[in-house]
Amino acid sequence: MTTLQDGRDEVLALNRLARERLVARARREGLETVGYGVVDSPLGPLWIAVGPRGVLSIHYGGEPSAHELGRIVRAYGPGLLPDARRSDPVARELDQYFAGRRKSFDVAVDLSPLTDFQRRILAATAKVGYGDVTTYARVAAKAGNQKASRAAGAALGANPIPIVIPCHRIVATDGTLGGYAGGLDAKRRLLALEGGTVPPGGWPKKRAT
Amino acid sequence: MTVLLTFGELLERHEREIFAYALRLTGDRDDADDVYQDTFLAAFRGWPPPRRGQERAWLYRIATNKVIDRARRAKRLVRVDDLRLAAPERDGVSMADLATAVKVLPEGQRAAFVLRKLQGLEYAEVARALDCSEEAARSRVAEAMKKVKEAMR
Repeated sequence: MTTLQDGRDEVLALNRLARERLVARARREGLETVGYGVVDSPLGPLWIAVGPRGVLSIHYGGEPSAHELGRIVRAYGPGLLPDARRSDPVARELDQYFAGRRKSFDVAVDLSPLTDFQRRILAATAKVGYGDVTTYARVAAKAGNQKASRAAGAALGANPIPIVIPCHRIVATDGTLGGYAGGLDAKRRLLALEGGTVPPGGWPKKRAT
Repeated sequence: MTVLLTFGELLERHEREIFAYALRLTGDRDDADDVYQDTFLAAFRGWPPPRRGQERAWLYRIATNKVIDRARRAKRLVRVDDLRLAAPERDGVSMADLATAVKVLPEGQRAAFVLRKLQGLEYAEVARALDCSEEAARSRVAEAMKKVKEAMR
């Protein structure tokens, strides 16, 4: 005997298959510009968006903010569709990273929807290696403006691709953690994953090289 | 309701009801799959939605037209098993009612019947989806109900 719930589940399963075919057609027709998916991580759900030139967004939480969507739409139009085929390669690398089996990311990132200053700050941040920690002031200096550590902090706070662009490795000059889009607990956990435990009150000054 | 910015939001917000609608109008899972895909592809191609806040009626209108287009081309075949999926008992509308509706009603009346009685749209929304007056929507639904009851006698 089929119950009503079975019927609903079957309709949902049919709907899922239909959606996969729809997204594949939209992709073939060039209607899909950006594909996204939500993955589970030890830090909670992450929303991942991938465009024609690489990863555009990794957002803490299952849903992007309107601000985040607006930024992508301004660059790539409204053609964002749920498409695991595009987000899966990123999800795989993140899984390996969280399992401690990956120390750097191979996926391409797309920083084109950002300002020139943000791009320079994030490019400098991308060079900070696994397990290393540096300060906002040093990142600002590497981006060409030593005095812009506050602006560097703001640019990192708005980092659209956390984890892959490791803004969690940037701390304040006084050794405290600074801020983090995913929350300071997430920042602590990422730093701990990469080696070493974070002392209460932040990292000691000597770590902030 | 927030403004829709992307195809994905439109899809995720409305796909389940549009798929159910397609299944109820066609009575066939393969046809429903086609109608669902054609509807959303047409919506993406026709982006942006014509009026803010009326995306739902817009999608229903596209879907209804897709079903009408298909009916012109192909003969209707109803799979009882698929109708079982499509028709949870609701507000006194049984699976038998739906099976009869799919068999005997012309597309316009069938769409009005399904939109009102199974999808649960208000008459104003039915009217927008079918591009007719609210009065016409009411009379289509009434006429459809009458025909279904007669056919089931």
